[in-house]
Amino acid sequence: MIAYTIRRIFLMLPLLLAIATVTFFLMHAIQGGPFDQDKPLPPGTRIALEQRYGLAKPLEEQYVTYLKNLAHFDLGISIATDRPVRDIIGERFPISVQLGICAFAFAMIGGLALGTIAAFNQNGIGDYIGVFVATAGSALPGFILAPILVITFVLRLHWFDVLGWEFGNYHKMVLPIVAFGMLPMALVARITRASMLDVLRQDYIRTARAKGLREVRVVVRHAAKNALIPVLTISGPVFAGLITGSFIIERAFAIPGLGQEFVSAVLVRDYGEIMGVTLFYAFIFAVMTLIVDLMYAVADPRIRY
Amino acid sequence: MAADPTIAQPFDFTAEQILTKQRGLWSQAWQRLIRNRLALVAGIILLLVIVLTILGTTTHLVQRHDPTQQIYVDAAGHSNVNQGPSSLHWLGTDTLGRDMWARVLEATLFSLKIGFGAEIVVVTVGITLGMASALGGKVTDTVVSWITDLAYGFPDLLAIILVRQVIFGRNWPIIGTGDPQIPGVPSVLISTIFAISIVSWVTVCRLVRGQMLSIREQDYVVAAKSIGASPWRVVRTHMLPNTLGPVIVAITFGIPRNIFAEASIAFIGLGVPPPHASLGSLVSDGYAHLQSNDLLVVWPAIVIGALMLCFTFLGDGLRDALDPRTKR
Repeated sequence: MIAYTIRRIFLMLPLLLAIATVTFFLMHAIQGGPFDQDKPLPPGTRIALEQRYGLAKPLEEQYVTYLKNLAHFDLGISIATDRPVRDIIGERFPISVQLGICAFAFAMIGGLALGTIAAFNQNGIGDYIGVFVATAGSALPGFILAPILVITFVLRLHWFDVLGWEFGNYHKMVLPIVAFGMLPMALVARITRASMLDVLRQDYIRTARAKGLREVRVVVRHAAKNALIPVLTISGPVFAGLITGSFIIERAFAIPGLGQEFVSAVLVRDYGEIMGVTLFYAFIFAVMTLIVDLMYAVADPRIRY
Repeated sequence: MAADPTIAQPFDFTAEQILTKQRGLWSQAWQRLIRNRLALVAGIILLLVIVLTILGTTTHLVQRHDPTQQIYVDAAGHSNVNQGPSSLHWLGTDTLGRDMWARVLEATLFSLKIGFGAEIVVVTVGITLGMASALGGKVTDTVVSWITDLAYGFPDLLAIILVRQVIFGRNWPIIGTGDPQIPGVPSVLISTIFAISIVSWVTVCRLVRGQMLSIREQDYVVAAKSIGASPWRVVRTHMLPNTLGPVIVAITFGIPRNIFAEASIAFIGLGVPPPHASLGSLVSDGYAHLQSNDLLVVWPAIVIGALMLCFTFLGDGLRDALDPRTKR
């Protein structure tokens, strides 16, 4: 297990290097540079700026400098704001993480509850409600759900605010979390229901009931433990997706997270920031994938590495 | 002339075939699919939407307005901006006095083109690389799995945004200049299709590789090989048809995913340039004008939701239909 972990960590390095390389060359293949604006800059200013950010050097030289800086965990400088990308990430990423974790909690709690209720109430009213929510949730991506929620709860009912993010202020938190977490919640609910139904048919559940255990105890002690393995399996990718995929929700609710920052960097072709943030996201993504793989082994004793 | 019992009569194959007519895999799957009420309805709705959008954008049968024409004041001198649904404008008009029905039709057609177009690329690349990986020997397998890992290592949306920005607005050999000013939509269409395909071929590639590897060990493939069938014949008549089922299901789930991906980047502001529309850019526009006219966001939202639902139900139905183990 330890040997496997170490091997995986070392395998991550070439992957990150490849991603860094691909991003670097993709970035320089984008038509137009960061200094192309509506009003052309005076040529002198332009040359000075390009020298300042090392864009005047040949591409391969820029690439080597970029890799050298990366080796020191220096993600470069954002050209648009003239700040180190590391600082920008440090400022914006925590907000995205807060949003992601809240949405993850919403998805897990809601999905588990719905799925369990649906399974124990198979073909009953609870099942129909659960399946309906799960289906509707998977057909309504966040950017569709966001305007619907805003129309209903902000413009009509005046329950919440729309803009910004403030941890602890539920007026600003509820709508983004629901819009973001609905899709994964639907997924979790579907998987919980299916695996719960599967487990409930097993002999040991019949035995537990036959020996007269209360229903709650049957669920918590006997059914839940085994039914949760598939849920655990998808919870990793879901979590990774929620942490790194908040572009749309942040844009819809004007949340100043890293996703929003990345999109505006792409729009103004801020090379430095795009590369830094891409690499950072890829790194987070790789680490999460690794953690997920290791978690499988912990959760399911049948898996050996 | 009477049949001579000492001479073997030619066996009447046709009669025998009619007696024990075996329904093939595909016809059985089809039977199971149309027995699934939900999948059938979903499929019919999808077909209707496709026919309607094609009719609406090519003829004047179901649409009487130009999606980009801005009419601020109508003939009677009344404002034509932000009007509710009427007999003239079935879904009302937007903030610039454009007919929403025409815009939604144009946007739906564009999104469908993205969905199907990207899926064609995905399937072509996915099957080719998946087959190469499974059958082409150790080196090919390693190289392909490296590329797959790399494509998988990028967060999806991030990669789509980057690649789209690279392709969009350059001079490409076959595709043309792709100048956003000139024909507009085709260049965005192609850059978006490629951006989405570059991310999503991985799923199909892995699927095909896995299927091929497991089928290769099946008895009927071993049998075909042992009676001397050529490798190409084994792949063509035995292995490919048996990978097709899961691939078809993957396609049905892939198309809405592509539509969703395009709508997402359009919502961020990287969609079709202004006079034209895709479903995502309509939602984005409507979202910006929620306070003056909240219907603008509702129409494209309904279409996206309906497309997603229909493809999901159809995909579920196909999965049940194509997998004989789920026979009920």
